[in-house]
Amino acid sequence: MGYRITAKENLSVIDFFMEVEAPHVAKAWKPGQFVVFILHEKGERVPMSVYKADKETGRVSMFIRKLGKTSLQLYYEFNVGDELWSFLGPLGKPIKVKYYGNVVFASDAVCGQAENYATLKAMKEAGNYTISIQSFENRANVYPEEFLAKPVADEYYLTTEDGSVGIKGHYLDVVKKLIEQDKVDIIFAGGKLGSLAKLAELTRPYGIPTITTVRQIMVDGTGMCGSCRILYDGEIKFACRDGPMFDAHKVDWDDVIRRDSRFAEQQALARERYLAKLREKGVI
Amino acid sequence: MAVRRKLIKERVPTPERPPKERVKDFKEVNLGYTFELAVKEAERCLQCPYEYAPCIKGCPVHINIPGFISKLVEYRDNPDKAVREALRIIWNDNTLPAVTGRVCPQEDQCEGACVVGKVGDAVDIGKLERFVADYARKNGIEEELLCEFEEECTGELGKVAIVGAGPAGLTCAGELAKMGYKVTIFEALHKPGGVLAYGIPEFRLPKEILDHELAKLNRLGVEIKTDHVVGRTVTIEELLQEYDAVFIGTGAGTPKLLNIPGILLGRIYSANEFLTRVNLMKAYEFPEYDTPIAIGKKTIVIGAGNTAMDAARSALRLGSEVTIAYRRGREDMTARIEEIKHAEEEGVQFEFFLQPVEFIGDENGRVKAVKFERMRPLEERDKRGKRKIVGTGEYVTLEADTVIIAIGLEPNRIITETPGLKTNPNGTLVVDENLMTSIPGVFAGGDAIRGEATVILAMGDGKKAAKAICDYIEKKRAKANA
Ligand SMILES: Cc1cc2nc3c(=O)[nH]c(=O)nc-3n(C[C@H](O)[C@H](O)[C@H](O)COP(=O)(O)OP(=O)(O)OC[C@H]3O[C@@H](n4cnc5c(N)ncnc54)[C@H](O)[C@@H]3O)c2cc1C
Ligand SMILES: Cc1cc2nc3c(=O)[nH]c(=O)nc-3n(C[C@H](O)[C@H](O)[C@H](O)COP(=O)(O)OP(=O)(O)OC[C@H]3O[C@@H](n4cnc5c(N)ncnc54)[C@H](O)[C@@H]3O)c2cc1C
Ligand code: SF4
Ligand code: FES
Repeated sequence: MGYRITAKENLSVIDFFMEVEAPHVAKAWKPGQFVVFILHEKGERVPMSVYKADKETGRVSMFIRKLGKTSLQLYYEFNVGDELWSFLGPLGKPIKVKYYGNVVFASDAVCGQAENYATLKAMKEAGNYTISIQSFENRANVYPEEFLAKPVADEYYLTTEDGSVGIKGHYLDVVKKLIEQDKVDIIFAGGKLGSLAKLAELTRPYGIPTITTVRQIMVDGTGMCGSCRILYDGEIKFACRDGPMFDAHKVDWDDVIRRDSRFAEQQALARERYLAKLREKGVI
Repeated sequence: MAVRRKLIKERVPTPERPPKERVKDFKEVNLGYTFELAVKEAERCLQCPYEYAPCIKGCPVHINIPGFISKLVEYRDNPDKAVREALRIIWNDNTLPAVTGRVCPQEDQCEGACVVGKVGDAVDIGKLERFVADYARKNGIEEELLCEFEEECTGELGKVAIVGAGPAGLTCAGELAKMGYKVTIFEALHKPGGVLAYGIPEFRLPKEILDHELAKLNRLGVEIKTDHVVGRTVTIEELLQEYDAVFIGTGAGTPKLLNIPGILLGRIYSANEFLTRVNLMKAYEFPEYDTPIAIGKKTIVIGAGNTAMDAARSALRLGSEVTIAYRRGREDMTARIEEIKHAEEEGVQFEFFLQPVEFIGDENGRVKAVKFERMRPLEERDKRGKRKIVGTGEYVTLEADTVIIAIGLEPNRIITETPGLKTNPNGTLVVDENLMTSIPGVFAGGDAIRGEATVILAMGDGKKAAKAICDYIEKKRAKANA
């Protein structure tokens, strides 16, 4: 039994959108939770954030970066109608959806962008004033409007690092301004680990609660292997089971970032090998 | 009737692949008996009477050992019949003999109690059990017996949900199916089997055997829903609305890690991560398979149980030199004797009385050495009968570019977060004498209630729980009808 792909679309030059039929996951999913899927029998277990989960249709969608062997293969070889071998979830702890006041969502990469929409929507429904900041590197990386959090947010900012669209700069710059305007009660952020570490330092002096996705290399995603361990407030926590959203001020970011490169050599090898195959076949 | 036999002190050995050859691949190490060899070994059994046979008492599920062994001798002229009769007897108490014949710590159980063992080598009960199962599987005999069972599996008596497809859950499911219940197993991973699938390597338990056991359950009408984490995908509460009872067999899947400096360095693995990558995800065939493993030239494995041996021998097969470092002495190692022997033959080095205190990293954030404190044994013994140890204040540093931590496992916390489900201080589930948890209608067994234990104990619990669940459902029905 597989999980059928029901939609696929390019979001930008580097990211794509994919929707999969997985009713067991869609039914139970709550904002903050993620999924783990495997493409085929020889595939790796890869975690993904969720963009939308529709209880009625049983479909779960994601934003995915064309990055390494797995995501590239998914992009090039899997189309609507094809099936994924395994689709597990939802995993991790849901975030606490309640009234906080002014809630900021910020992101500068796929996983955060995906969360931006769903978590923001839930927070708005809980009566919060929601502010979204989505950062992209440049114009070519910006998503089509329908995939942005713009329509659901009370206040919306789009930035590009080179200023080719929207505000020139990064979400960190916008967050700084919002803090100066005294508009931030809590921040939820995802995306690049380096930016999250900087965000933690930015908000720390103000004591603003800062909840971030701690992305770690995972295997099972259920707390069985310890691959995703992090140092949190001096204790070992598992990102998949105890997170993936954590209080950014208590995370040891240096270690998190270092552990992210654990398999860099193997990943580069797999990617090169796969790209060579695609070239050979004339796909790219 | 017990027959007087001449005592043969020496075991008929089972053929094994030579160490130099077998460390190059993940294929099975022990090749098992042929029928002729099995009969010869079976003849060494003195056929102690059923009521006294110490091997039966030593077996956690009380398999009629002399009973099944005698069939091999009795029908020595008809191998098919011999195996059919033997398997029938084993299946009364144990439905996974191909697994237990390979992984049970027989030296502490049946074989440890065998009377022949008092004067020579104990009868090789484990290898005989394995032989019966393997022969039956390969020659269609299992198939015949399954057909007889299938008719009983009506699925009409009620519906039971099982959480976790390890030996506890699989056994409970099989028993309930045979009693006439409709059973659905919810398993978190994409493959059922529990530790048998993700932990124990193929050189000890080929995946083909596990797959066969799973197909057997399928035949009995058991449905397995993989990719379902109970507590996340579906809750116990929701299961109770749909099913008459629930059995939790979620095992002890969470690795204990050493909270010492350097624990987050690269190439320090928990045994579970290492073994899951290698066994379940076949990282030893990377990049043909997508899951990577990074391993250096010198590996230190910390611990001395089966998990440590499995990790050490897997690391050897990935081309690393391997040292097992244990904080106690040789005699305290908890692994099966056969695994320790195989590890030694294959070239694993052992260091005793070393307690890790720090992992030292290189400029790339990877481990490059482990600092240990030397330990000293005392005369005093702890609750498990092991000598207590104390630090000596003397330190040694061993070079290692890969470390695997195999110091134990705790119950998975996703399930223990279930509201109303009581746990002991060590995280195991509280159960009564019928294996019922603090939630009525929810039963539990295996490592989830024992902490790290064994396959056969987990199976024993699964079986006991199946009977208790049957009673529970019958009583519930009777009450509702009254
Ligand atoms: C909670 C969580 C949410 C995520 N959400 C998204 C998302 O919405 N969109 C998205 O594109 N990516 C997301 N990721 C990252 C995604 O899992 C990896 O990018 C993916 O595994 C890449 O696989 P690959 O083979 O294409 O690339 P690889 O070449 O294998 O890896 C590229 C990078 O991805 C990371 N990575 C690789 N394998 C894993 C793994 N098993 N677990 C975690 N990280 C890994 C590493 O940082 C690595 O450097 C998320 C990760 C986590 C932990
Ligand atoms: C490497 C290793 C080697 C071993 N070697 C031996 C040996 O040689 N001999 C021996 O007798 N014993 C051995 N053991 C111990 C033995 O494997 C265990 O005692 C036994 O597997 C316990 O069975 P179980 O059914 O209780 O749990 P497990 O085998 O742990 O199975 C539990 C299952 O439940 C699933 N699960 C967990 N949580 C959830 C959830 N919330 N929802 C759904 N599913 C869930 C897991 O994915 C898993 O499949 C070894 C253990 C390890 C780790
Ligand atoms: S104790 Fe040994 S000799 Fe006696 S019945 Fe059991 S296996 Fe045979
Ligand atoms: S991914 Fe295995 S414990 Fe988190």
